[in-house]
Amino acid sequence: MKTIFFTGKGGVGKSTLSATCAWQLAEKGYKTLLLSIDPAHNVADIFDTSVGHKKSKFSTNLYLQEANLDKAASVYIEQNIDILTEVYSYTKAFNFDTYFKVLRYSPGVEEYASLTILEQTLRNETDYDFIVFDTPPTGLTLRILALPNISITWVDRLRRIRKQILEKRHTIHNITGKYSEEGFRLAYDEKDDAVMQKLNEIWQRYVNVYKALKGEDNSIAVVFNPDYLSLRESQRILEGLDDLYLPLRAAFNNKYEDRLQDTADEVERELLGANGKKVHIARVPLVPAERRNTYKNDFDVTEAFR
Amino acid sequence: MNPLDPLKRTFQFLKSFSSTMDTAHRNRAVGLTECEVRELENMFVLLLMGSFTGVPAPPSFISAELLPYLEHEIKVVNRRSESASDALSELSGCFDIT
Amino acid sequence: MTTLIIIIGAVVYAALYMIYGRKMESEVVKADNAIQTPAHRLYDGVDYVPTRTSVLFGHHFASVAGAAPIVGPVVAMAWGWVPALAWVWFGNIFIGAVHDYLAVMASVRYDGKSIQFVASDLINKRTGYLFYILVFFLLVLVVAAFAAVLGGMFMSNPGIPAAAAYLLIAAVIQGFLMYKTKLPFAVSTAIGIAMLVLVIYLAGVFPLEASRNFWFLAMFFYIIIAAALPVQVLLQPRDYLNAWLLYVGLILGGLGAIFAFQGFTAPAFTSFSPIISAGQPTPFWPVIPLIIACGSLSGFHALVASGTTSKQISSEKAGLAIGYGVMLVEGFLSTIVVIAVAGWGVQVMTGAGQTITTAGWSTQYTPAMSGSFPNAAMFSETWAAMIGDTWLNFIPETFLRIVAGMWVSSFALTTLDSTNRLARYTLAEIFLPLKSKSESLYRFFSNRWVASVIPAAIGVYLGWSGSFGLLWPSFGAANQLIAAIALLTGTAWVSKRLKTKATYAFIPAMALWVTVTAAMVWYLAVVIPVTWAANPATGGTVGFITVAMLIMNIIFIIDFFKTKNQPLADTEIGAE
Repeated sequence: MKTIFFTGKGGVGKSTLSATCAWQLAEKGYKTLLLSIDPAHNVADIFDTSVGHKKSKFSTNLYLQEANLDKAASVYIEQNIDILTEVYSYTKAFNFDTYFKVLRYSPGVEEYASLTILEQTLRNETDYDFIVFDTPPTGLTLRILALPNISITWVDRLRRIRKQILEKRHTIHNITGKYSEEGFRLAYDEKDDAVMQKLNEIWQRYVNVYKALKGEDNSIAVVFNPDYLSLRESQRILEGLDDLYLPLRAAFNNKYEDRLQDTADEVERELLGANGKKVHIARVPLVPAERRNTYKNDFDVTEAFR
Repeated sequence: MNPLDPLKRTFQFLKSFSSTMDTAHRNRAVGLTECEVRELENMFVLLLMGSFTGVPAPPSFISAELLPYLEHEIKVVNRRSESASDALSELSGCFDIT
Repeated sequence: MTTLIIIIGAVVYAALYMIYGRKMESEVVKADNAIQTPAHRLYDGVDYVPTRTSVLFGHHFASVAGAAPIVGPVVAMAWGWVPALAWVWFGNIFIGAVHDYLAVMASVRYDGKSIQFVASDLINKRTGYLFYILVFFLLVLVVAAFAAVLGGMFMSNPGIPAAAAYLLIAAVIQGFLMYKTKLPFAVSTAIGIAMLVLVIYLAGVFPLEASRNFWFLAMFFYIIIAAALPVQVLLQPRDYLNAWLLYVGLILGGLGAIFAFQGFTAPAFTSFSPIISAGQPTPFWPVIPLIIACGSLSGFHALVASGTTSKQISSEKAGLAIGYGVMLVEGFLSTIVVIAVAGWGVQVMTGAGQTITTAGWSTQYTPAMSGSFPNAAMFSETWAAMIGDTWLNFIPETFLRIVAGMWVSSFALTTLDSTNRLARYTLAEIFLPLKSKSESLYRFFSNRWVASVIPAAIGVYLGWSGSFGLLWPSFGAANQLIAAIALLTGTAWVSKRLKTKATYAFIPAMALWVTVTAAMVWYLAVVIPVTWAANPATGGTVGFITVAMLIMNIIFIIDFFKTKNQPLADTEIGAE
């Protein structure tokens, strides 16, 4: 399974290109999934069909999905609220169990829900040859891409402290045996500690996502236009990817017209300068406004990912 | 009165004396560690719940996933938050001075 | 004579425990097993855990036993053995044990809150704050006093610093065995005891000699490093091994006192003001509490009792055994020390080439303990000699001397480590109110290295430059002042909350307070000027601390009397 992320400023044609890419891959015989994690979905519009939170088949090899972040967040919270309210079931007596629902509004919900969808997709949809991701605007995308790293760091710290706690408890238990007594039962071994198991599980989850993002089977493409406005934001994306050691494989100079050649040259130079050698640069011609089914394009987008 | 009674009672006394001594020794060998582990548990939860108290914290979803399993630690935090301003005596009890 | 005294001591303690202790319990505290203690009522499996009384007794005793109950009585023998015993027995029974008992019970009735909290509640908020400052002074002075003791010991017998060093290594090994391996506890304990014996043997064979300055510098670095290590590495395993040293010391000492059948060679009473502190005549009243502190009465016990102990007591009536009883057992330890010096002091001192006569005792005794025959050597040698005069004489005396020396030095070194950790905390708490006025000052003093170095540096410097006779009473003063405040707090508790016979507490409390205040004034007037003349830095530092303590003392007593007759806010039944 290979993955491709189309990133870029809003309005540069990112969604159209990702749709084109997915369509072309499907036509070439690859089983492809186009997944939009942009809250402002465009996939349904581009394909002029209804697309929902569940995958739907569009053509022989092409499947479409618009991830509902809100729903993903809710499902996740419900799961945890269930456990929380089980443990703290006495709060029901005061109708306080509903207070756990405030978790839905914590900062980072969108990022986290996107990450969850990403993680689940990477884990579950292995029978696809290609998964093409249409991403949200730059800021959110970068935060989502950074989240595995941040989580890994935090979880690692927490694991270390937890290890210390378990070690000390083990020492205490070794000498006094108190943790097998009624009323004092506490885990003192990693394998018995639900918290440690959870921490390890979370850690593994994020490590897997990060590895997948960094790996050979993943490509990140940045889409921009031959103008100076999209240049700035595209530079931000590149910096962000650099900070995360994530590989940029393709750069699409979209809505290209011959009359803009000089500007296009300069933008490409400014943006890709030193990186130019490792990145596949493609100039995608402007598609006339009256064209329908914009995903059907003569320009071979998939070439960049050979 | 059974002539063996005093003997039996002495034996009982010695048994319970040595069991008390044993417990006391084991407690002494880990007393400070117990003081320590309580503080570590306190810190662990504070780090997790930091976002509820204004301290930078891990993404709250990580905290939410772990919270259900931290009943004991939360008890520790509650106790500590009550006694944090009265710690001199507790510390004196943990550390032998004179 | 020795046997007689120890039997009388045991009888006196036991009898008065029954009579006076029980009276305190039934008439003053009105302990009632039907009232649930916080260990049950607030049970949380963490701090509030009801513990078997016998186990708690052992735990509390181990927490309060140390090197101080040994050092004090040795110094006090300058007055003769009758005054020394009088204070160890009656000061303990009527003041010291009462102090401990009231501290425990007040805390128990206050949901396990500390004596500091009770003081803030019943007297004045700033009384609670005073505890931080006084405890900090106590911590610095105990380092100074013990450093002086250790310095003297190390210089007089090279076997002792060797034993201390080897014991350090043994403790680290013990820690490794107990905490990092899966060895059964009994096995690691056995190895620990074997290592103790080995250490004693090695210390005799491979002594360590060095200059005085070297030892003090070593002590300074030891404090800083040890207090920065995790507790399982050194502090806790050493704590554990100390317990075994304590047993050996107590049991051998007790047996020695009973079976030695020796008369006392030391005088019963020498003079009211023999030479003790800084070469000055030291009056028995008011200075005795400053000399024999632990062993009779110790303010630090109030903190320990109201810290962890009160949260673990399973029934109110257990409080007597633990609060009152533990103190008496500690007094028993001091009794043994007095007996040892009274019976064998002359023999040991003449053996060391010191001139000592019954007639000249008051002027000769204290100066005899100097140079190569310091205070702690008086203890270790008399104790060893005492045991040597019984059927236990199969144990070589050099061995016994090192055991006694190890006993004192090991406890003292543990104290140096623990005080530093506690000092870091108290220093931060002292400067906390200044945080709003000067954040940088607060930050400076609560930095863990600064907070570690300051008390260690001051303490070790004072120990190096000051005489033992100067430092020991100043440590005693800090300790006794805390005790006076704690006892008066206990009195306030009895009169305001219990509304029972507060006189049982008030009379000893006021007697103590007056004595301690007079003693500090005497100290400031007599000892400090002499020391200042010899060494302004040392005299100035100790003088400053003494003045500060006196000022806080005055503030406290004013607060106490101001609130004494004020009813508590919630007892005013007004508009009901």
